[in-house]
Amino acid sequence: MVSKTEEEQVNRLESQVENGGGGAWEYLCLVRKLKLRRSDKVLKFGLSILNDPKKRSALGPEEWTLYEEVAVAAMDCQCLDVAKEFTKVLQKKFPGSKRVGRLEAMLLEAKGSWAEAEKAYMSLLEDNPLDQIVHKRRAAMAKAQGNIPLAIESLNKYLEIFMADQDAWRELAEIYVSLQMYKQAAFCYEELILSQPTIPLFHLSYADVLYTLGGLENLQTAKKYYASTIDLTGGKNTRALFGICLCTAAIGQLTKGRNKEDKENSQLQSLSAVALEKDYKQRNQSKHSLLTATLKSLKLS
Amino acid sequence: MGGETKYEIHQNAYIKLVLHALKHKTSAVNGVLLGRLSGDDTVEIVDSVPLFHSQIGLLPPLEIALIMIEEYYNDKGLSIVGYFHANERFDDFELSNVAKNIGDHISKYFPGAALLLLDNKKLEALPKGKDRNPVMQLYTKDASRSWKLVGSDRLTVKEPSANVILLDFISSKKWKDITDFDDHLDDISKDWLNSDLFN
Repeated sequence: MVSKTEEEQVNRLESQVENGGGGAWEYLCLVRKLKLRRSDKVLKFGLSILNDPKKRSALGPEEWTLYEEVAVAAMDCQCLDVAKEFTKVLQKKFPGSKRVGRLEAMLLEAKGSWAEAEKAYMSLLEDNPLDQIVHKRRAAMAKAQGNIPLAIESLNKYLEIFMADQDAWRELAEIYVSLQMYKQAAFCYEELILSQPTIPLFHLSYADVLYTLGGLENLQTAKKYYASTIDLTGGKNTRALFGICLCTAAIGQLTKGRNKEDKENSQLQSLSAVALEKDYKQRNQSKHSLLTATLKSLKLS
Repeated sequence: MGGETKYEIHQNAYIKLVLHALKHKTSAVNGVLLGRLSGDDTVEIVDSVPLFHSQIGLLPPLEIALIMIEEYYNDKGLSIVGYFHANERFDDFELSNVAKNIGDHISKYFPGAALLLLDNKKLEALPKGKDRNPVMQLYTKDASRSWKLVGSDRLTVKEPSANVILLDFISSKKWKDITDFDDHLDDISKDWLNSDLFN
């Protein structure tokens, strides 16, 4: 998960390298640090360094980290020859290494040799049952084979041990959403908010899930979490602003004929609407009238 | 609507959807189809809007998108006539419940709605053959109100050279220029109409 500034930084570096302005090593380090998935670029830029003996030796001991990074990227791009070659290089340098063993297992996975990869991962786990990466690879393999129930089971088992792993909670939540298992997805986001209460993305996703679940109570809670997202993002999050409008409209529908909406509720909606109008006017004038019409239909519905 | 409705998709609408799927290879993507009835038994899919590439099963972004899209296209005499979906995995040919639900919703307002599913195998085979058919599977609602796969002869691309153009765009990595509704919600200055895409 990266911030907008971090993403812009990576993108800038990426076009810089693409256009021959150098900075490939910086880019590769940044991608590795932020755990981004930009395999085609990592492969391209990494190869340009590794295939040049001068550039390669300039890396010193970091050369091996790069081999690993590029091997994984190669697997992601299905360039299995490159991946195999680099894995061999690492095998030679670090014989008997478990880290290289993991790479070999991933290569089997990339080839689609599921049973062999599973055997390799299981034997790695025997030696180190707390290897988080291997645990997650097994869940990923289940997903890749289309065995979603097994992927869910694997992730749940993993999270029982490693309950602080945000990435795993998010992956699980997204799997649940894709299966329309919204209650379970909500649980995942609740865990994330509990452990990291100041990350707006979790509040936003939680609100989205609650809205999707529907029902008066969920809508009211969703509205609260859209509001907290707005709070945490200084009012700049378009999705949260829309969320307030959607919730207000939906709650209005459900409470028609009951006691009039309290002032605070409608105030929040109009504040959000005003913020959206201002934003569109400033940054996308051509879509402004569409926005106005959208807000109008929400107020009426 | 009659059981033998044909669907004709315009080149640009078709290409946008495939490019969108190619831009986000590691996730499921979806989009809506805009069009109109043409004659007694043909639905013309004139345009498409790529929608999302993350958390497709969530309602709020979808609701906003549909309101805005309808608002824009109604002025042009077009309505939402279908839905496009591309699964996350290469060999997954199952129509997910999310896709069916969204299709159901669209069918309420346009009874002959089409559900298109990206056919990854056909897409992969495209450079090798001279296939003029769209690289999508067509599903329609049958009398029992469930989505059924129908013969590929009922979905055609209006322009016969569409796949040639598509292959051209693929080799020039044109998918980089596609904007979807997710991108717009993250940065409202981005144009989900992709008005400059084919210039």
